[in-house]
Amino acid sequence: MDGLAWRQFKAILRKDIVMELRTREMVTSMGLYAILTMVVYQVALSEAGASLDVRLVMPGLIWVAFIFMSLLGLNRSFVHEKDQGCIEALLLAPIDRPVIFFSKFTGNLLFLLVVEVLSLPVFSFLFLQEQQGIANPVWMVGLVLLGASIGISGVGTLLATISVNTSGRDIMLAVLFVPLMYPLLRAAVGATFAAVIGGPASAALFWGWMAWVAAFDVIMLLVAFALYEFVIGA
Amino acid sequence: MEGAGRDTALEVRDLSRAFGVRKALDGVSLEVPSGAFLSIFGPNGAGKTTLVKVLTTLLNPTSGAASVCGLDVVAEAVALRHRIGLISHNPLLYPDLTAEENLLFFADLYGVQDAEERARELLEAVELDHRRLDLTRTFSRGMLQRLSIARALLHRPDVLFLDEPYSGLDPHAMDILDHLIAQIRGEHTFVMISHDLDKGLQLCSHALILASGRVVLYEERDALDEAAFKETYRATVGMGVA
Repeated sequence: MDGLAWRQFKAILRKDIVMELRTREMVTSMGLYAILTMVVYQVALSEAGASLDVRLVMPGLIWVAFIFMSLLGLNRSFVHEKDQGCIEALLLAPIDRPVIFFSKFTGNLLFLLVVEVLSLPVFSFLFLQEQQGIANPVWMVGLVLLGASIGISGVGTLLATISVNTSGRDIMLAVLFVPLMYPLLRAAVGATFAAVIGGPASAALFWGWMAWVAAFDVIMLLVAFALYEFVIGA
Repeated sequence: MEGAGRDTALEVRDLSRAFGVRKALDGVSLEVPSGAFLSIFGPNGAGKTTLVKVLTTLLNPTSGAASVCGLDVVAEAVALRHRIGLISHNPLLYPDLTAEENLLFFADLYGVQDAEERARELLEAVELDHRRLDLTRTFSRGMLQRLSIARALLHRPDVLFLDEPYSGLDPHAMDILDHLIAQIRGEHTFVMISHDLDKGLQLCSHALILASGRVVLYEERDALDEAAFKETYRATVGMGVA
């Protein structure tokens, strides 16, 4: 990345952060969704009784919430660019399209991680009070969060760019995003399960699933990088 | 693109752009010298905005070629974007940034060296320095358009494209825009889309009428018979869209 590209990257990222701090549209909508989902989970599991070890279903519950929560945020991430034709102003600038992708991706990743990190203690408070807690070190859960969020933001940024110009952009993003997320979702749930439940084989299981997460991230970021010029200009 | 002289700001050769089966531009050719003021007229759907979008690298042509400042609009798009500015009827500004933040943001995108000084200078020129710290969502249409002019001039472009810049402006804002154009007229080549025949003819050195994606008339202002030109324009308005 040359000097101008780095300056452009920082400018778009800074602009997105400043606008999010002013409007709080993405973080608020994602955060509210996460909390409401947990309340629904609590009601859904209320008849299960004390015999249910919530840790067995916790990885799935968390990642389902995070995947749908991210849809809300990603939908908002390009709405600012559509307002008053700002996307046109971005495209008029002497900027390589992948720079736009990486700056929007970094902003989305940042906002997603903020909400995830704030949501997890709420989840623990609601579900894990009387349980054993996380068997392996917490950093393992943190690593899954980071790895999976990179994939979610990468694919989501690409798809949000495609869907922003369509008439039913909310449903369009969901229809494209959820099927593409399936391999990442499966790997993230597997890695989180290994981190939470522990046991003798958990380290090997954890790293095996993390390899899937990393592979997904690399492949999807390369695909997004290659397609972005075409997608944003379409 | 071969054939463009050093003093040619725009050269368009047999340019076409189709959307599906509909041709928005159909074999457009023209040459505009540096420093000229080209006014483009035509009915809705004539291809005016499509032509400007191709010349500003926002759309690729389906066939033919075009160059601005000697740079091909497809092959040398990134280099060309340093040399052009666009003032649209949309302000192309972020409503949740202040006037100054908007200008500094675009200064970063264009790599403007003296960004803060340049932003201050332009805010004064468009008489918005007293509102520089206000969010642009609080601005009136005229103020947004003035700030949009500052945005387009930030990087000192050689060619300035204006897509119906007077649309929705109050008389005071129109006066300011007139004054700004008069101030910078010698330093830039202008390409303006206008539905206001009198305003367009008053400003231009070259006039172009497009209809159904084709050039109906292209002449220098000095050689123009105004009555005949207006008659041709009125006739094209009834020609329908491409």
